[in-house]
Amino acid sequence: MTTSSPALRDHTVHRRHRRRVERLRAVRFHALMAPITLLWAAPVLFALLISVRSLDDIVSRGLGALPTSFSLASFTEAWNAGVGRALLNSVVVTAPTVVLELLLGSMAAFALSRYHVPLRRLILAVMLAGNLLPPQVLLVPVSRMMQSVGLYDSLLALIVVHTAFGVGFFTFVLHGFMRTVPEEVTEAARIDGAGAFTIYWRIMLPLVRPALAGLAALASTWAFNDLIWSLAVIRSGELFPISATMLSFSSQYLTSWNVATAGAILAALPTALVFFVFQKQFVSGMLMGSVK
Amino acid sequence: MQGLGAAGLAAAGLGTAGCVTGGSGSESSGSSTLTLQSSLVDPNSSGAMQKLVDLYNERGGEASLNTVAADTFNAQLPTYLDSDNPPDVMVYFAGAITQRYGDRDKLLDVSQLWADELSEYPDSLRELSTDSKDRQIFVPTNYYWWGVFYRRSVFDQLGATVPTTWTDYLTLCEEIQAQGMAPLITGAGRDPWPLVAWFDYLNLRINGAEFHRALLRGEHRFDGPEVKAVFTEFAKVLPYFHPSSRSYAYQEAITPFAQGDAAMYLMGALITDVLPDDVDDLDFFQFPILDPGVPVAEEAPTNGYLAPARVRDPDATRDLLGFLASDEAQVIYCRDSQSSSVPTSPTADTSWTSELVQKGLDLLGVADDLTQFFNRDSSEELQQTAYTACSRFLAEPGNVDAILAEWQAAAEPIWQDQSA
Amino acid sequence: MTSRSSSAVAEPAPAAADRRAPGPAARPRRRRGRVPGTVWVFLLLAGGVEAIWIFWPALSTFYFSLTSWDGLDAPRFIGLENFTSMARDDVFHTALRNNAVWLAGFAVGSVILGLAMAVALDRPRRGVGVYRALIYLPMVFSLLVTGLFWRVMYQPEGPVNAILAAIGLESWQRQWLADPDIVLLAVLVAAVWRQVGYVMVLYLAGLKATDPALADAARVDGCSAWQRFWHVTMPQLRGVNTVVAAITVIDALRTFDVVWSMTGGGPYNSSELLSTYMFRQAFTNQALGYSSAIAVVIFVLTLGFIVFFLRRSFAEQK
Repeated sequence: MTTSSPALRDHTVHRRHRRRVERLRAVRFHALMAPITLLWAAPVLFALLISVRSLDDIVSRGLGALPTSFSLASFTEAWNAGVGRALLNSVVVTAPTVVLELLLGSMAAFALSRYHVPLRRLILAVMLAGNLLPPQVLLVPVSRMMQSVGLYDSLLALIVVHTAFGVGFFTFVLHGFMRTVPEEVTEAARIDGAGAFTIYWRIMLPLVRPALAGLAALASTWAFNDLIWSLAVIRSGELFPISATMLSFSSQYLTSWNVATAGAILAALPTALVFFVFQKQFVSGMLMGSVK
Repeated sequence: MQGLGAAGLAAAGLGTAGCVTGGSGSESSGSSTLTLQSSLVDPNSSGAMQKLVDLYNERGGEASLNTVAADTFNAQLPTYLDSDNPPDVMVYFAGAITQRYGDRDKLLDVSQLWADELSEYPDSLRELSTDSKDRQIFVPTNYYWWGVFYRRSVFDQLGATVPTTWTDYLTLCEEIQAQGMAPLITGAGRDPWPLVAWFDYLNLRINGAEFHRALLRGEHRFDGPEVKAVFTEFAKVLPYFHPSSRSYAYQEAITPFAQGDAAMYLMGALITDVLPDDVDDLDFFQFPILDPGVPVAEEAPTNGYLAPARVRDPDATRDLLGFLASDEAQVIYCRDSQSSSVPTSPTADTSWTSELVQKGLDLLGVADDLTQFFNRDSSEELQQTAYTACSRFLAEPGNVDAILAEWQAAAEPIWQDQSA
Repeated sequence: MTSRSSSAVAEPAPAAADRRAPGPAARPRRRRGRVPGTVWVFLLLAGGVEAIWIFWPALSTFYFSLTSWDGLDAPRFIGLENFTSMARDDVFHTALRNNAVWLAGFAVGSVILGLAMAVALDRPRRGVGVYRALIYLPMVFSLLVTGLFWRVMYQPEGPVNAILAAIGLESWQRQWLADPDIVLLAVLVAAVWRQVGYVMVLYLAGLKATDPALADAARVDGCSAWQRFWHVTMPQLRGVNTVVAAITVIDALRTFDVVWSMTGGGPYNSSELLSTYMFRQAFTNQALGYSSAIAVVIFVLTLGFIVFFLRRSFAEQK
């Protein structure tokens, strides 16, 4: 270092300069992004602040004030007032829904991508189109049909309608993935005497597993966050999943802001947790959703 | 009613008529348990309902309570009335909506109950519970009153006295405003029914109950001179409303009222439900008289029970209705729900009621006529048009002519459908 | 619901190996002609569930839209009367107009913000992960929860007005959800807030797939950052743009929960969308025939956009 050539010194100076520019840029970047992100998180932060305040504190100092009280009692109250039960209902609906959607979707995708089913492109397009229908179009008849088959007001009804509504989409996306699996792979198995089911179950499914993981993350938030279908096929308060429960909960606790926001936070927590734990799958799920 | 009612959706209601499907619901056909469907979600009321059901079961009945949000309930009601397996008894209210269901043969005939257990009830209640085919189709069990509520401590602090005439009332508002407090508050945000109460009362005081009911039936016009006169008076109080009234639902408006930020709230006695703790400080006065020549009418919404015509076991259902109508059951509900409603039965014990409730009863006792409320005297659909007209008036009082013309235009197809 | 819709379109499929041509050339040759029974069962399971619970109800709705029906008695066939009354229905017109505003605002707002965020957070840096996570966190909230959070924000004494007061902008304070002139915008902010993260994720993936050499070359040529972005990067994002457009349009047209939970369409219909109006007609007013007709309008609009985007994306592929 002591005897560095001018050229080398130049280089170091240059590098130091570059590093300084870099650091300056980084400061500028954070100075810009930190406030924006904070602003972005503000609704969640305020909800958190409000949920830990006492009602007296909120009423006397306003919703926008900083807390002077701290208590987690609102969460207990919200949980016991039905939010806990509703979350459980949502889980009971979401888990089988996701499995069914992916199972049926992958089966149909397998059929359409590996075999000469007549009109397969049309079938695929029509199945996708079903998923693009605005749910409002279907509410009234679906609800009546559920009544006539005796499924109305059961969580099973919800699982069925979620699955039916989602399956077209998952078929479409998985079809795209399965087409990219080289024909030789399945052909070799066929020649070895494997039947269609074996090829599907032993070869195809393992190959598209990463796609299934991403789609599962996506499917679970859809099923979990649903409002409109639960209102259409469930009538008993104790069977309502989380969104439908929050709707009556928030009108019931309209003036107890701390409990209402605590309930909203509890309702958001499961998907937020799933999201942070499975962030990668999530992002890939969203991309698949869009890209295919 | 309030809040995010979306629940309505539930509605999914959907009747069972038509092509898609045949009959409905096979679920619980084996069981003989009666279902009592309720929309009373607040803890006191639902607790009182549960107590009634428990008592009924203790005495050998078999019933269970199902409580859903009010919007959900309303949306599902038509479905249930036409379904093969409806809830057996439903909490509902008396008035035009119930009578229309009766006219269309959707409700269980409970005339026998009226001939026996309810034979001592006043004619006004009997008439209210009778459809156009002269059948009783409703069992009223409690009612409440409306008034201008205020807090005694706030009035003392303001040095205010209770007004009886409209002029006194406007003067009082002005004085309160001069002291830096909002004289009035209402819940004109989502589902602005407290605002519609202003229309009801002004119309009752200016044009009388007969005109009011006929108007809601479509026999007068919303853009006629009588209704215009109502809005002329309405305009006089607009400056006195707490500015946040426009954002608040009815319970939210209670917070500033309880805090002493607003002095008076035109509300039903159900305000005691929501008002925390210091009910003793709460008082009310009669909505001021505008024209002494008009017979005095008050709003006295009546609640009770109805049953679908197609219940599985009409005798068991009538038995449950009879129990719910008993003096004992009426008192249990009124007392435990803390809603300041009072039993309809003339023989029920009312010695337990508070001074406030007694005062409310006296108010109704001397009234020349009673009405139910805008929606109960017309339909939910027509009330939607009232929401639009009244809340738009609150924001643009200068446009009153256009607002009333639009109101009339929106109401006409509704009246047509109902007469069809 | 964000993206059920999503599906729609385009191409930049990182996972797909032989994406290039959907044409016959790429189709595997040795597929057998005979379709085994198992495969038919596979297809029938999925197709059957969807046919029974989606297509059949959809057809019923089309029928109901031609009837007058209050849910109490059987529907009565009235031909196109529901559609002609729609033409005279002021609230329907308001809802239609609001839907157009909503569509434009939702698409423009979430695309511009999402793209800006993606560009800002594209380069790996310390802290970028945290920023990204916080910005797409709202996406996992249900629209209902989103509505609840923002209803708190917009209370007359709530955080938004408190913040405005704290920074000296009292004159900007509003009754956000009670003022007919701004309520739609206020709700739009909540909806965009939730959607931006989604759009950002799509653009981040798109940016990753762009060729950095092109931008470097442009830099050497002395192009400004804006020019580089607009003339070099943007054209490479065309595929993503189509996807984003399709998603936001479809999501915008089916918006319901967030408006319903925040305003219910009020005050006096000023935030009414077709979906909320349809809902009210069906479930408050029991006008099930009329509400089915509105549902059909929503469907036709959605279909129009889907066809438009699909055709464009196919055209681009060729």
